[in-house]
Amino acid sequence: MVVGSVRVKNKNGIHLRLAGELVKGATRFRSHITVTKDGQEVDAKSILGVAGLGAECGAELVIKTDGEDEAEALAYLVDLVDNQFALEST
Amino acid sequence: MNDAKAEKKEITFYGIPASPGIAFGEAFVVNVEDMSVPEEHVSVDQVDDEIRKFHEALEQTEREIKKLVRSLEEEIGEEHGKILDSHRMILSDELFRNETIKTIKENKVTAAFALNTVLDKVLATFAAIKDEYLKERTEDIRDVRRRVLRNLMGQQAEGLSNLRRKAVVVARSLTPSDTAGLNKKYVAAFITDAGGSTSHAAILARSQGIPSVVGLNDMVKHVKPYDQLIVDGITGQVVLNPTAETVHLYREVQARYRELEKELLTLRDFPAVTLDGHSIELSANIETADEVADVMSHGAHGIGLFRTEYFFITRSALPSEEEQYRYYASVVKRIPADPVIIRTLDVGGDKIARWVGDLREANPFMGWRGIRFTLARKDIFRTQLRAIFRASAHGNVKIMFPMVSVLDEVRSAKQLCEEVKDDLKRERYQIGENAEIGIMIETPSAVAIADLLAREVDFFSVGTNDLIQYALAVDRGNAKISYLYDVLHPSILRLLRDTVTAAHKHKIWVGICGEMPGSVHGALLLLGLGLDEFSAASYLIPTIKKIVRSVTYDEARALVRKTLTMGTAREVREHVERFIHEKRPELREFLPEAAS
Repeated sequence: MVVGSVRVKNKNGIHLRLAGELVKGATRFRSHITVTKDGQEVDAKSILGVAGLGAECGAELVIKTDGEDEAEALAYLVDLVDNQFALEST
Repeated sequence: MNDAKAEKKEITFYGIPASPGIAFGEAFVVNVEDMSVPEEHVSVDQVDDEIRKFHEALEQTEREIKKLVRSLEEEIGEEHGKILDSHRMILSDELFRNETIKTIKENKVTAAFALNTVLDKVLATFAAIKDEYLKERTEDIRDVRRRVLRNLMGQQAEGLSNLRRKAVVVARSLTPSDTAGLNKKYVAAFITDAGGSTSHAAILARSQGIPSVVGLNDMVKHVKPYDQLIVDGITGQVVLNPTAETVHLYREVQARYRELEKELLTLRDFPAVTLDGHSIELSANIETADEVADVMSHGAHGIGLFRTEYFFITRSALPSEEEQYRYYASVVKRIPADPVIIRTLDVGGDKIARWVGDLREANPFMGWRGIRFTLARKDIFRTQLRAIFRASAHGNVKIMFPMVSVLDEVRSAKQLCEEVKDDLKRERYQIGENAEIGIMIETPSAVAIADLLAREVDFFSVGTNDLIQYALAVDRGNAKISYLYDVLHPSILRLLRDTVTAAHKHKIWVGICGEMPGSVHGALLLLGLGLDEFSAASYLIPTIKKIVRSVTYDEARALVRKTLTMGTAREVREHVERFIHEKRPELREFLPEAAS
């Protein structure tokens, strides 16, 4: 298992649509992935879970990945959040 | 509620006009409450049956949403189908599926009750969120819940698809799902508490030619089913329980509007030329690519302002070059012979920009917006310019920069254009070699140095809305001083005169893309001031064309010469009205009620 952390930079935080982008990113990988905010841990492949974190701009997210592709998954998701989800479109 | 017997009082609500026209009708208040789901238990051998029903309902809902996406794409454009992406993701959410199945098994309850309980828990999590913005984003989850429950509980269509008589649709807000099963021939008008002119209801209304008013704040709570309503999509007023007198008044307004509309549309294929042969370019402002059909049906010649903000702010991530290129090209290809003026991103000020981080500023209108923003974020600027230049291969594209206040900004932006063009050519892309480059004139500073700016660019387009607020130092949203916000102030007329003089001296053309040409006073003065192009919302095009075709250029110029000597907006207004009454009485129908 590997763990990383990243801050949310999007102005309005991770709302439903961005949560969807994060889930789309997480489901590319086989690893089991969770996102934790202020001690609340959710499955990164669940849009309701991720959106329910209420991760506002500036919030710190801890991402844990566990499985055969855990390193790539972690790097990808940290980048995704760090680049304000711009990765999806370029 | 025991005020049913109370006498119904006429109330007028003021909102944002979203789609023109006058409508009368009974209220059909869209049920915005969640459905109530009774707690029903099942026997052990029915558990599997409930799980199967749950899966079927999910599949059925998935099919409905797919169908909805298709019809949205066909009706109002590809963009709008994307909105439902997150709905489909909620449907396939493992947490939601597994928890519901677990609840059915463990508590021996119906699928409907189980899923309702699970989503209640999810919604409770959202309610605990501290951030106000994120907390309120639960409408999509409720929407999905309503859809699945509807399928599970075997109820046929509910809500808007129950509409079987012509009525005014009244709602807090309308989502694409809400309007999906709707038979539009029953809709007299849409009115909503929420939303601006780019909300779903507004766009749908305009595309269907149905009157609409949005942004009515708390109108819904005053309206009961079957209440009588009058909707004025031209001024943005909604009258609840109108008196016989008001109905009579609006019948007349409606008759006049219809007459006018018919007459105006006959002008569609005629040019905007004065009685003595002076012609102006008349084009339309658009906010989304879907509006091109409107532009053509109203007889505008091309697009004088293609705002690009909407495309950006409706996405969760920055649109790529390819996405932007396809979007801009889709407009250009539909009217390849007509000019399309694409304005580069104008965020900041009153616009949101969730994808670039926190932009909150103490004074956004004097802040980081327009060209100031794009020059600082060259990554975003370069991508947009590449997309625009690539789209320029398909027609007559012009590029316009907003919010210019100093010369350096224009030079830097032009430099970047050259670099982008060179890159594209090297990469073997086709581009329109001669795409004109122009700027918005919307700061007093730009007017003061208009002669210097005119040497650098191919055209000017005056944004009157911002120019007025910067020149008169007035925030139009501030009720105490909004009386100062008047397009007919001598200071504004002088700024316009100076801009036109500088432009013509340097042989470039100058247009206008604010709300000013939409009033008869504004249109006559702009004509007389010598502006070469007017660009306005599509529905205003026939009116402006009629005004231009009703006068001579000479008399409009004389009107301007006279009004430029006047000291107050009121004198200017009265003089224009005197001219209309005495010389061109056929234009009286365009005067506001009080002056006609």
